[in-house]
Amino acid sequence: MDRRINSSYIKELFSKSSDVEVRPIKINQNNMVIHLFCVDGLSDQELFDEAVLKSLKFDPYLAGCKTERQMMDYLLEGGAYHVFTSEESDYDLLIKSVLSGMVALIFDAEGKAVVYDLRKFEKRSIQEPTEENVIKGSKESFIEAMRTNTALIRRKIRSENLVVEKLSVGRLSKTDISLIYIRDIANPDTVNKIRDIINNIDIDNVPTAAFIEEFLIDNKNSIFPQVMYTQRPDRVSANLSDGRVALVVDGIPFVYILPCQLPMLMQSPDDYANHFLIGSALRFIRYLSMVVTLFLPAFYIAASTYQSQMFPVQLSLSIQAAKQNVPFSSAAEVFGLLISFEILIEAGLRLPQAVGTAMSILGGLVVGQAAVEANLISPAVVVIVALAGISGFVMPNQDLSSAVRLTRFILAVLAAVAGFFGLVIGLIVLVTHLCSIDNYGTAYMSPFVDVEERNIKDTIFRFPVRYFKKRPDDIAYINKTKQGEDKDE
Amino acid sequence: MNRLKLMIPFLCLCLFGGCSHDMNRREIDEINFIHVLGIDYSEKEYVLTAVYSASQGADAEKTDAGEEKISQGKGATPFEAFQDLKLKNKKTVSIANTGYFLIGDGAARHGIERCIDFLSRDETVKMESLLFVTKDIQAEDFINQSLENEQVIHEDLEAIEQKQHELVTRNDNTLVNILNEIESNMTGILIPYLISENNSFLIQGYAVFDRTALVDYLDAETSSGVNFMKNIVRAYPIHLEDVGLTVTGSECKLSSEIEDTRIKVKVSLDFETAVKEINTDKDIFAGDELDRLTDMQNVYIVDIITKAVNYSVQNKIDILQISRLIQNRYAKKWKDYEENWNEFIPEIQYEIAVNSRITKSFMLND
Repeated sequence: MDRRINSSYIKELFSKSSDVEVRPIKINQNNMVIHLFCVDGLSDQELFDEAVLKSLKFDPYLAGCKTERQMMDYLLEGGAYHVFTSEESDYDLLIKSVLSGMVALIFDAEGKAVVYDLRKFEKRSIQEPTEENVIKGSKESFIEAMRTNTALIRRKIRSENLVVEKLSVGRLSKTDISLIYIRDIANPDTVNKIRDIINNIDIDNVPTAAFIEEFLIDNKNSIFPQVMYTQRPDRVSANLSDGRVALVVDGIPFVYILPCQLPMLMQSPDDYANHFLIGSALRFIRYLSMVVTLFLPAFYIAASTYQSQMFPVQLSLSIQAAKQNVPFSSAAEVFGLLISFEILIEAGLRLPQAVGTAMSILGGLVVGQAAVEANLISPAVVVIVALAGISGFVMPNQDLSSAVRLTRFILAVLAAVAGFFGLVIGLIVLVTHLCSIDNYGTAYMSPFVDVEERNIKDTIFRFPVRYFKKRPDDIAYINKTKQGEDKDE
Repeated sequence: MNRLKLMIPFLCLCLFGGCSHDMNRREIDEINFIHVLGIDYSEKEYVLTAVYSASQGADAEKTDAGEEKISQGKGATPFEAFQDLKLKNKKTVSIANTGYFLIGDGAARHGIERCIDFLSRDETVKMESLLFVTKDIQAEDFINQSLENEQVIHEDLEAIEQKQHELVTRNDNTLVNILNEIESNMTGILIPYLISENNSFLIQGYAVFDRTALVDYLDAETSSGVNFMKNIVRAYPIHLEDVGLTVTGSECKLSSEIEDTRIKVKVSLDFETAVKEINTDKDIFAGDELDRLTDMQNVYIVDIITKAVNYSVQNKIDILQISRLIQNRYAKKWKDYEENWNEFIPEIQYEIAVNSRITKSFMLND
């Protein structure tokens, strides 16, 4: 239903909201009255007084205006000293603008309003990223304010082709979202699809990131992250220039990047801040850690319960000696310790940092040592689970780390019931699942499943920058070249 | 449909869980791993002597880490003997981690075919496990003597394996290799034999098998000659009158030729040596002296190779695997020789050509 903008109705609507101001302002000798409509605490009152209210009261031209239309035209042409001024005739948009922090002057006779973007609210300053910190590189990270985040991205890409589209989600929350892409690089189909998805989200509120993420992913049953998030503007700019699309959600201190592929989640800013050989070594260790954390507990269960010949002779004797007098099966030991490990992590997250450290020492060292001495678990299992646990945290992306930790349990269960047979079945199902995930027209396992070998140059190993001349084929097919030929070649 | 999808993993888990007993589910601490298995044959009976680590037992904490214990099984066949061995053990017995099989003199002379067949049919056995023959003694007695001498048998055998690697580039006495040799059924099989001396084990040379039965033991030099011709020498000491040398690298090429019905084999050996010891005041690196030493070391190696050749010719046993050479080059003609190959062995003409260099002195002041 279209509703005409009217101050009386708005005043009635917000009569029980003490923070919303709807009050009359008398303008000139003709006794013309307009209404101020704003939310206390969301806008810059000083700036309003200085730039708008002062003009309304003392501008001689306004004093001579005979109609509201004359006044509105004058204000829109710069009568008030504020640049972000617009006319609003849509009731719903006016309500949304004011509730997001803008200040409106309602002209009842015209049924319209002049809106000033004077949003100002308390926000964090830009700080160092907590999850993606690097030694050699930018120290900026995103904050909860969307406009600050888009500004950080704009500072990195000063191109006229960088598009920042404004969208909105949430029947009640009306959360602002910026859809960011580079016009002549990003795939228009991907951009349109993401825009359509966001426009079709019908939800009351966006309290956490997961509320947006779940709408953005195709394969909702997969535990593997299909949307990449980052705290770093430089990482967003790098992905935008590769042809990907970024989503900045107001109130969430990181930015989503789409389409997402598994190798992206294994990359860290450190890889590109160091020499390519060092970066490659770090990357390789990360992949190795993923294999260790996924398969080590399952391998131990399968080998110690079914195929003990898989261990070297001396190792099997050591494990055998360590397991003497332990009353539980290898599988029970591993599961018990894996679950204890997860409990410790969860408890550490909930507790204050100082207490958390003490609890880690108590849980990890004291209880672990006591359990070994009491013959409740064998030392070999402690080593296996600790190694798998630590390796799990090498993943740069916490969503991937969580997915890998859960998969580790499933593989361990399969190994416990069917040994290496179960483990191999688990591996086949895992690989099949990962290869079957489609993410906005690109394979999740790309470029491992690509035919083009040049796409492999930034996966397990990080090649020198001079090899990254082309953008990924499946992401950006319009403008593929991102680097000129070397002059010395 | 969704319920059905959820049921599938559940049913799989139940199925696998139900089958886990058939998948040889056994906790690692419920298994007695045999480190060394002795195989004997006497009085029409196979005797298996298994060596375990004593720390695998129930009273593990009371025993020293290196202490070993043995148990035995007897039967008309190796399989029956192994079943007997299993019955007599409190825990499950496994040869999954057996690194060494000792074949007693009796079992070797009786024929190793049945033993190797039995071992190779075990799905858990390590095919790179090493086989040794205990010279002139049953494996059981060899093991008992070693235990009486307070030797840790599997550790001493590991030391033997490492010594083998110092002298030769590969171990041909692996289970898989011996199995292949038996299946090819034409070459004289060679397995290193062990002797016990001063509380330790030594490999002196090869035990020679005609088909699958032990016929003789080669002396150390003849065995070295075989190693040179098999091109597996990594290092070999040469003792000349004033100088001690060691072979640091060798390459031997065998080529065969059939003229009429006569087989000619050309042995081309190229090797390098390093000076290890000089017991003279002469400058051995002066031109003539170096040539003289080179000639002497050539003669030394030719003598060793000739011993191996002579043994093969005189005993009509193809320890040099010439049959394989002929078969590869003359696939059609080989059929004429195949049946009576042993009769052709004495007719083979060998031509030995040796070329060598003394290349390194390892002296800081040279």
